Order: sequence, then structure tokens, then C-alpha cells
Amino acid sequence: MHTSDAVREGLIALLPRLRRLARALAGQTADADDLVQVVLERALARSAQWRPDAALDKWVFAIARNAWRDELRARGRAQHLFVAEESGEAVADGGAALPAQQLELAQALAALPPDHREVVALVLVEGLSYDEAAALLEVPVGTVTSRLSRARATLQAHLGSDA
Amino acid sequence: MNPIDDDTLQAYVDGALDATEAARVDAALARDEVLASRVRRMRALNAQLRAAFDPVLDEPVPAHLSALLQPQGESTVPLTVHAGGRAANVSRRRVPRRWLMPGAALAASVALLAAGLWWWRAGDDMVRMRNGESYAAGVLDHALNHALASEPDARAPVAIGLSFRTAEGNICRSFTIRTPPSRAGLACHTAEGWELPVLELSAPARGGELRQAASDLPPAVQVAIDARLRGEVFDARQERAARADRWR
Repeated sequence: MHTSDAVREGLIALLPRLRRLARALAGQTADADDLVQVVLERALARSAQWRPDAALDKWVFAIARNAWRDELRARGRAQHLFVAEESGEAVADGGAALPAQQLELAQALAALPPDHREVVALVLVEGLSYDEAAALLEVPVGTVTSRLSRARATLQAHLGSDA
Repeated sequence: MNPIDDDTLQAYVDGALDATEAARVDAALARDEVLASRVRRMRALNAQLRAAFDPVLDEPVPAHLSALLQPQGESTVPLTVHAGGRAANVSRRRVPRRWLMPGAALAASVALLAAGLWWWRAGDDMVRMRNGESYAAGVLDHALNHALASEPDARAPVAIGLSFRTAEGNICRSFTIRTPPSRAGLACHTAEGWELPVLELSAPARGGELRQAASDLPPAVQVAIDARLRGEVFDARQERAARADRWR
């Protein structure tokens, strides 16, 4: 069997988790699914680079993280303020279905710098270990834990005393 | 004794400490209310994040995304054909393959759903659908509930492979259906029954083999196992104990 077949079938099983990660990174549903589409296309195009002994999920998540960073750069919106503003617009048109608490959380997440946000998405949402996140992001484990710690402090401050 | 620093406390909440360190934090939490309240706040944030994003797992996958992953769509995907010497593989006749996934994508695509329904009918009632998810039924359900890999039965229509507990805490078992068309899959126990995240056509087990080696499983099944497996697969004793406990 082709590696590409194995990757494609692995991606089918991974799709729900990939969408969850994309939602945590990119925020609104439409942006997140645009990101998922880019990730699927890249993963299929690069399926020859995937080694079957490597975990497919980490490989795909790394593609997702890089695609998200590319997207931020391409839009010239690497500044987190822009992402926050975009999230604010979406709140006005499509976000009404979200419970108030989740809306607050989404805004707080969107306001995080990308470095912090991706660590929250990988570790706290996707459940990667610190080591796995460090390997994926190609940074030392200490960098992951310090970013996570600062991200937590920011989120807790945003969310008030109830979190 | 060293005080508990921020990194340690965070690692405790995220389950990243070894047992000794975790016990040290437990002891400190019992006598330090300030520390305990910081742990509660961190846990609350973790729970809030999960509550916000985990429901995405149950959403239907948009059809345009699952369509990208259909084998038939291969011609529209650039570079799936490997450069250099692998072109011969492309003209090789493809074994028709059907896949299952947690119902969302199937439900999202009428065409796929139709193909799926055809498949269930051809599949001698071993699969039932419920709310867009596929579950084991009939002989398959019975085998998953009762058969043990440690007590293989060469004549049984279903052979059980690996059993293990996932990070989420439920038990999954891989299996092979011997009656044609041979299929292999993974079943995970839920309150609704044995959910089937993946079921694949497979090459029939070679003569006399009672237990299909993991390496013989179709890649999609292997990937599904790898995605869920944390720790060890059950040995014979654990498998028996799990059955006695009704796979909870």
C-alpha cells in the first residue's frame, strides 16, 4: 500500500481532533475549517515525507501549527491584537450561539500571543505532553512550560476569579 | 523539603509529574490552602478549555473536508504520486476500500452514506448505525463482548486481536472478521455499545493463523490503534478481568 493511502486513512480518523486543534488555534469555525483544509492538502501532498514509525497525529499537528503561523504571517496579522479584533467582529455576526462563558474564553484565547496560544492549544486542548509539544514546536521543554505558565496567568486574569 | 514552585504545580495539574513528585505536591496541598486554591483555579481553566473545544469532536465534519480524503479524489490532489519510480503503483488496480469513521463525515455526504448503506447490507448485519455513528451488531457484537484473544477459536467468524484501555478511559479491541469479505477494525466500548471508529477490508488471515499479527492489520486500523493506545495492551488476565467487568 502507498504511504499516501495510509496517510489519507489516518487523516480520516484524525479529522475530528484536527478540527478541534484548528478551532483552538484559529478561533472561529470558518477560519478553523479553512485551516483544516490547508492542512489536509499539505499532508496529502507531503505524505511521502511521513515515516510510518512516526505518530501521524504529531506530524499532522505540526503541519497544522505551521500552516496557522503561515496564515498569520500572510495576512500580516501576526500581531495578536488583529486576531483579537477579528474575533470581536465574529462575535457580532456569528458568535451568538456560544454561551457567554465560552465567548469570554474564546476572546481571551484570541488575545494571547501566538507563542502562548499554540502551547495552550497543543497541551491543554489537544492533551499533548510537554515533551511532545516541545518536540513539535522545536523548542526546549522549559520554553513550553514557561509559555504555558504565562498563558495560564493571562487567561485566568481575563476570565476573572471564577477560573 | 523544597517548596513547590510554579512549574511543579503546573506540571502537577497537567499530570506531568512522576508519582513521587506528585505525592510531594499532594502532601503540600493538604496543608497549604493557598497552594490548593491555585491548583483549583488551574484545574478549572483546564476544564473550561476542554468544555469549550471537546464538543468539536462530535460535530459533523463538513463534506468538503472529508471529500478531500476520498481515494476517488486522488486525481485532484497534487503530488500524491510519488516522484521517482513509484508511478507503476498508480496503474495497479486498486482494491476497493470502504472506511468508516465516527459518523460525522458519512452523515455529511449523501454519496458516502449511500455507499455505506450498501456496505452494511452486504455486511451481514454486523454493523448498525445510530445517530450517524457505526456500532457492532450481531455476531461481531457478541464476539466483542465474549471472545478472548487468549482463548482463540479458529472456527469463530470473528477473531479478537488487541485489547487496551485508551487515555480517555474506555476499552478498545481490534478484531478481524473472517467470513468474506474479510474485514478488520477497531471497536471501542461506549455506553451505546461497541463503536467502530474504523472498519476496513483486509487480506484474509493466512492459513491456520489464529491471531492476526498486528502488522497484518490494514494501516488505517493500525493508525486508529496508535492514536488511542496509551500504555500496554491487556494480557490474558487483564482481558479476562475486563470481560468480567463488562468492558467498563
